[in-house]
Amino acid sequence: MNPILQTDAATLSPIALFLQADWVVKGVMLGLLLASIWTWAIIIAFWVKLGRTRKASETFEQEFWRADDIDAFVKTRGTADLPTARVLAAGVTEWRRSTQGNRIDREGTRERLGTTMGSAVAKEIDQLSDRLNVLATVGSVAPFVGLFGTVWGIMRSFTSIASQQNTSLAVVAPGIAEALFATAIGLFAAIPAVIAYNRFSHAINRIEARLMRFADGFHATLSRQLDGER
Amino acid sequence: MERAEKIGLAGAVAGHVVLFGLLSVGFLDTPEAMKPKQAPVEVSLVKDVALEAAAPAATEPPSQAVAPETGEPQDAPPPVPEPQPRPEPAPQPAPAPKPEPAPPKPAPAKPAPPKPAPPRPAPAPKPVPQPKPRPKPAPPAAEKAPAKPAPARPAAAAAASATRAPPAASKGAGKTPAATAARPRGGRLGSDFLKGLTAEPSKARDSDAPPSAARVDGKALAAIQQAIARQIQPCADRQVDPGPGANQIVTTLNLRLNRDGTLSATPTVVRQSGVDDDNRRYARRVVDLGIAAFKGCSPLKLPAEYYATANGGWSNINYNWKLR
Repeated sequence: MNPILQTDAATLSPIALFLQADWVVKGVMLGLLLASIWTWAIIIAFWVKLGRTRKASETFEQEFWRADDIDAFVKTRGTADLPTARVLAAGVTEWRRSTQGNRIDREGTRERLGTTMGSAVAKEIDQLSDRLNVLATVGSVAPFVGLFGTVWGIMRSFTSIASQQNTSLAVVAPGIAEALFATAIGLFAAIPAVIAYNRFSHAINRIEARLMRFADGFHATLSRQLDGER
Repeated sequence: MERAEKIGLAGAVAGHVVLFGLLSVGFLDTPEAMKPKQAPVEVSLVKDVALEAAAPAATEPPSQAVAPETGEPQDAPPPVPEPQPRPEPAPQPAPAPKPEPAPPKPAPAKPAPPKPAPPRPAPAPKPVPQPKPRPKPAPPAAEKAPAKPAPARPAAAAAASATRAPPAASKGAGKTPAATAARPRGGRLGSDFLKGLTAEPSKARDSDAPPSAARVDGKALAAIQQAIARQIQPCADRQVDPGPGANQIVTTLNLRLNRDGTLSATPTVVRQSGVDDDNRRYARRVVDLGIAAFKGCSPLKLPAEYYATANGGWSNINYNWKLR
């Protein structure tokens, strides 16, 4: 007998537990399974993305502070797919726009540079933290959804007890096991989601702080440059 | 969808499929619990339920050493004064070779033939049926004839009912071959004859009661108590509970029973327990109800072999009476 297809209630086979369940519980299980897959997809994607971003940002910043000619550096590296690069590009763009005319409003330029780079940082952080709300939602709702499936399944078990006039454990146990399977899936999805949410929130906060520091530093550089202009 | 998200989705799906497969093939299954082997064990309760020493007690004394016609030794004394009144016994047949008390003999025709077989034929035409046809071999044959019933009788004596009859029937025959063959009259043998056998008449039981078990054990007593409880239950149920607390009184009644299960005496109170201030006024009533229950539901049907044994029986038994 194919082990995948065995529907023996005494095994922990998920397919067996799924097939024995009520359609409500089946729906709950399917939804939770999708939530779990989606959660893990987000987790892996964040892992990859944040790790790469952090490393690349570090090297980019180091190279930037070492560079002598900001214009040349922006020309060669400014198009890199990095939050830091985009913040830099936003600042440089605003700087060029503000210094195009004959007369330079220094205070206005400083203010515009700060605002522009601040909004660029905020935009990057928004993009980075996209999908983090999914983790938060799954982490808080999945246990309740699983609990709903369990309650429904146990109610069904009790009705089957009532209809069979038999309270032996063999009658009750499969129904309760399949019902509890819903809670298990819910917890299986929720626990990684909660952990990942906290961890990635922390990582994104750090990235944001780093971007803000970079933006502040670049703003100071441009501000000094502005003093040097006529 | 970014590249990182594609990687993430692919990784998540792959991970779930792998987990699903592992669970499906029983990766986390609890190992099959060892089912306890149920080797059949033969339990024999014979010793516990069977009667202990169920064979009836051998209380029957062995046969007498002295022939039962010891009643006739009143006739035997005559032999002493016999010489004088010799001619007196006119009806006495002449062939009597010894001063035997012949007159009573002819009636019990059987014992006569043994010894004086040859001379007998003439004076006794009545005993014809027995040893007549054979002249010489007669003595042995005749001796055998009376001897036969004798062995048979001790055997029959085992049956309690028969024990009394033989002495009556064998007035003139004696009980053992020795008694019959060797001693045709009421005379005595030597005192050491069949040493160990009593000269008293057999004291076999005179009733047709069934044999009793040698002893009654605790289980049998418990069974008897339960049988009594069961049999008086209908009458006990009829007794009206006189008041609150009365059913806490346990009265030990002493029952005297006849062999047929009837009460031979009104049950008497041995002791009473469970009496407190609340139900003290019902104590006497409870006793009366118990006695009424026993009177109403006797005779009791109880195992006969336990009526009376060496260590008690239901002829005299205490029963704990309690209202329900």
